[in-house]
Amino acid sequence: MKHTEEELIFIKEELSQMWRLVLSQVEKAKQSFLNNDIELAREVASREKRVDSFELKIDSDCENYIALYNPVAIDLRLVLSLIKISSTLERIADFAEGIARYVIEDACKALANDLKEELRVETMFDTVIEMLSDSYVALDSENTRLSGKILSKDETVDEIYHNAVKILANYLRNNPSEIECGLQTILVMRKIERIGDHCSNIVEEIVFYIDAKVLKHSNDHE
Amino acid sequence: MIEAKNVNFYYGNFQALKDISMVMDDHTVTAFIGPSGCGKSTFLRLFNRMNELIANTRLTGECLVNGENIYQKSIDVTELRKKIGMVFQKPNPFPQSIFENVAYGLRVDGVKDKHFIKQRVEESLVSAALWNEVKDKLKKSAFELSGGQQQRLCIARALAISPSIILMDEPASALDPISTSKIEDLIHVLKKDYTIVIVTHNMQQAARVSDKTGFFMLGTLIEYNDTRKMFLNPEKEETQNYITGRFG
Amino acid sequence: MNKKTSQQIAFIIFRILGIFVVGILFWILGFIIYNGIGVISWKFLTEPPSEGMTGGGIFPAIVGTLCLIAGSSIVAFPLGILSAIYTSEYAGNGYIIKFIRIMTNNLGGIPSIIFGLFGMSLFVNTLGFGDSILAGSLTLGLLCLPLVIRTTEEALKAIPDSFRTGSLALGASKLQTVNRIILPMAFPNIITGLILSIGRISGETAPILFTVAAYFLPKLPTSIFDQVMALPYHLYVIAVSGTDLEASRPIAYGTALVLIVIVLIMNLMASFLRRKLKKY
Repeated sequence: MKHTEEELIFIKEELSQMWRLVLSQVEKAKQSFLNNDIELAREVASREKRVDSFELKIDSDCENYIALYNPVAIDLRLVLSLIKISSTLERIADFAEGIARYVIEDACKALANDLKEELRVETMFDTVIEMLSDSYVALDSENTRLSGKILSKDETVDEIYHNAVKILANYLRNNPSEIECGLQTILVMRKIERIGDHCSNIVEEIVFYIDAKVLKHSNDHE
Repeated sequence: MIEAKNVNFYYGNFQALKDISMVMDDHTVTAFIGPSGCGKSTFLRLFNRMNELIANTRLTGECLVNGENIYQKSIDVTELRKKIGMVFQKPNPFPQSIFENVAYGLRVDGVKDKHFIKQRVEESLVSAALWNEVKDKLKKSAFELSGGQQQRLCIARALAISPSIILMDEPASALDPISTSKIEDLIHVLKKDYTIVIVTHNMQQAARVSDKTGFFMLGTLIEYNDTRKMFLNPEKEETQNYITGRFG
Repeated sequence: MNKKTSQQIAFIIFRILGIFVVGILFWILGFIIYNGIGVISWKFLTEPPSEGMTGGGIFPAIVGTLCLIAGSSIVAFPLGILSAIYTSEYAGNGYIIKFIRIMTNNLGGIPSIIFGLFGMSLFVNTLGFGDSILAGSLTLGLLCLPLVIRTTEEALKAIPDSFRTGSLALGASKLQTVNRIILPMAFPNIITGLILSIGRISGETAPILFTVAAYFLPKLPTSIFDQVMALPYHLYVIAVSGTDLEASRPIAYGTALVLIVIVLIMNLMASFLRRKLKKY
């Protein structure tokens, strides 16, 4: 194997480590949110730094790769995608941390678990986690067949979010004392929804890398 | 370790190198880049004393290899050249068989042991990533090989006498892109066992293969730095202008 | 006149001149073959002259010429090749070596009769060799020395420097480089040069005139201090100073033919060897 190729594989490996880390961050954010587990939430918050340092490392490795090896064609697309994916992953981890901070601040334990269920927070979490892990599989196997499926999941997420707004609005009308908690909750759900959007961006980057197609800002993806 | 201390070099009255000091570490690849006539090849050739073949040249300063001044009187230049191999710009195999080309350095060194020679030839060809292509035609003339194969043969020939340092003077500039990338991969592998110094016209090549890069201009060493640093954020403006193509 | 017609005219002129030169050559050859072929026979090649040079053969002259070729080769080849190796591989490019090179070229331009006179005064008289194969070979050897040096030098210079630096960079000494790389590579061209210089000496008359050649000597030489007959001189003798010029005319043409054939064989051998030995 060419040594330039080895270098790329090395960066890809770094990215997949980062990916696993971010995935576990989101997973733990979910657990901590659903179970009000402050310990777990602290762990998520403290591991945020590691995600940041991964991003910096991948950025500088990609810069070096471009400066030293002048990649072209599929190699160039891969490096560009790696940069964007790593910064997107970092954003996703930021959201996970935000959710964890909310749990730590411990503002509204009161929010009943059945309400969480009605809002379908867990489904929403699971969907974005699936999106995140499926898109990792897509990059790792260099296969874009999954991309349509992943992108359509984002619509599920959006739908849950919009329904949740209505449900919460109704709920809060009856329980005005919990308005603050309600707002906090909708902010958390907003973060989950954003994670879904970012996963879509990642899928678009993967499609750009593998098929050289630009899906961004075109409305025709199912 | 290779070291130059305040080296000045003259062709007649023309000063080709101006007060150059640098250190090259073991098991690294150091690349010299710079415009034509900047002195990078001259500097390279100081270290196996090839410049001595040119009449009317003069050197001041010290060239040290592993702490020893290679220009002091007690140094036997043929012994020195056995320790410091060289690969040239154009592949220059001898008009002999592939086997004899690789065995040449051993034979002039007085090695008679046929078994040993055979073994060294094979090892060298393997290290030069050429063995699989030539193992069935060792008796054939070296001129039957392609340009890229000839250059790898010349590398094998240099490896056969077990040098610790290999100097390469634009080793891929006469080759096509595929052969070039084979040579570059080879350099990457060889650096585990050898200290390699390479002169190249091709900045990208320096970027691809080297750990450290020296930029020469008009006989002066403008900047000597980690290759990554050099190509991402060089310290000197001249370097930046040169590697971005804004030079001259 | 446009480019095309001017080119055509130039082409025609060159072609005519070329044909003219080759024509002259073939005319001479044809003339000699036509006049000389009649006397060529086994007897002509193996018997000494008889009947006051109007009969018999030219055997002693053939043997004499071969002796002189061998003798002068022994003198000129080692000396010439070694000095060429010195001047082109070792001496560098200083003033002295430039001077030597110019003098070598001048030596090649000296008329051969002067070599004859020099050989007579030095070898025949001063050193006391007398008229002998030794004196003749030394003289002819000196005569072809510049040619041997020049052709050997050219052959060595034709080897690209990259082979020298390549060998030196592997820790070979200069002598090893010359012996193992340069000489084997230059060998075909050196051989060619040597054979051409043999062709040259086999045809020389003037240098042997005063140093070795016998007017008439039917017996073969037994030592290097003997005189011999030689083809070119024999040709001269029977062409201008025989007892009966008219009667010996066919023999003169026959002798000329033999001499030309010897030179021709040498040249063919040279080009054959050059092609055969060129391995790379």
